Amino acid sequence: MATQQGEGGVPFAVAHELQNFRLLELPPEIVELLEAPNPPPFQIRQVQTSNSVFVTQPAFDAHGNDIPTSTTCAIASCTATLELHPADTPAVAYIEAVLPVYDIVGGEVDAIQNDTSKGGVFADVPLSSGQCEQGWAEVVAFELSGSSYRPSVNTLRQVWSSINAAALAEGIRLDSQFLGYDLAEMVQEEGFPAPLALAIFSHLASAGQDTSGQWSCLDRRKTVSFVGKTLLQAKRGSSGHLVADFVEEWKDSLPEAWRGDAALKSIEGTYDTPTSTTIVAKGISASRATEAAVPKAAAVKGKWHERFAKTRK
Amino acid sequence: MPIIPLHPRSLAPASAASDSNPLPPLLRTPSGLALLELQGDIRFPPAAAQSSTQVGKLVFPLYNPDLNAEDDTKWMKRVYFYVGKNQRMAGEVKRLGKPFAVIRKRETPNVEDVVMGDGEAVNAGEELEIVEIVKYKILFAMRPEPVGGGVEETV
Repeated sequence: MATQQGEGGVPFAVAHELQNFRLLELPPEIVELLEAPNPPPFQIRQVQTSNSVFVTQPAFDAHGNDIPTSTTCAIASCTATLELHPADTPAVAYIEAVLPVYDIVGGEVDAIQNDTSKGGVFADVPLSSGQCEQGWAEVVAFELSGSSYRPSVNTLRQVWSSINAAALAEGIRLDSQFLGYDLAEMVQEEGFPAPLALAIFSHLASAGQDTSGQWSCLDRRKTVSFVGKTLLQAKRGSSGHLVADFVEEWKDSLPEAWRGDAALKSIEGTYDTPTSTTIVAKGISASRATEAAVPKAAAVKGKWHERFAKTRK
Repeated sequence: MPIIPLHPRSLAPASAASDSNPLPPLLRTPSGLALLELQGDIRFPPAAAQSSTQVGKLVFPLYNPDLNAEDDTKWMKRVYFYVGKNQRMAGEVKRLGKPFAVIRKRETPNVEDVVMGDGEAVNAGEELEIVEIVKYKILFAMRPEPVGGGVEETV
């Protein structure tokens, strides 16, 4: 081997001024995924390595007084590599995690200002703008005085009730075009944020409806289902509530003409019936799902530490 | 989400770099970039006069293009890295299960134009580019072993 070291070896040098490179691991799927019409997002995870990883480049170097020879020269050293993982966490989970809850208890607002605009919130979410918008709409998020919030179920219930009352007073049919701004202002007079009322209009808008203008138009089926789910989730206690009472309350919370639409089948999958006459909301809220996911991650971490501790013994 | 554009590798061939690349063809890439991973770190005294310091030599003892067929990959199993005069690391050439994209900050194109222009600041933000996609690496997973350096002295 010693002779080869002298004859056939490739000189290896290390540049004094190393450049900045990053190594991004490319999973085999990524190529086909990148070619897909709607490429899914990937999360980037930085992985530290205890080894030295050099990026090398051929160079033609004369070291000392030697005749210049073809050399392999390390031009960068990477202490970490980047891995790509398909982002499988739904956008709504991210948005829920970063937004403070806007709650109204006994007429008093209970919310922590985050002094962050919608754009500022999106900047911290590792998803595309389109997905952020989707999650934002799903949690009925809204901006108020420079902060962003997501309403509690209890708040949604109260604001909906105010919307319904104002629409009734003004003779507005919610499933035909109406001036959303005007209705939101009436809701504001009741002490609720107008932007939240507008967020609800947009959340419940008929498909294809432009929600950016001052006009709104609610989808009747969507709205009936939303009101039913909101009412049920806002009910405290897990022992269950009488189905007949719940449906009656649901009907009372809808515009007169829609009363007949309040049927359990329109909120199917979102409730459990502990007995044949009682009903309770299923733990469908995404916030609970995220809470469940977090301890899971912690548990894995714990195991890793346990394993690490074992090897150290 | 703040968006940083990541540009794909430019397809400009760099045949000149390929010709002067001393590594076996399998390890050559269009840009000449290759990956070498080792356990630990290389330390050497700084030599200000040079832009780089030669720290050792890579030897592919089983690689012989005259004898081996092109698709013969047995030579990948053995690579030596002689560091200084008395240390040697044994390693191998590994095919990466997941290739690496080598990424760097993109130099703003037309830098001269910007400078020569009428002071109009062009701040396009940070951009990244994939310089190369590397499918193999030279890996030295073991610690160096001592070897005699007598022969080196005579070269």
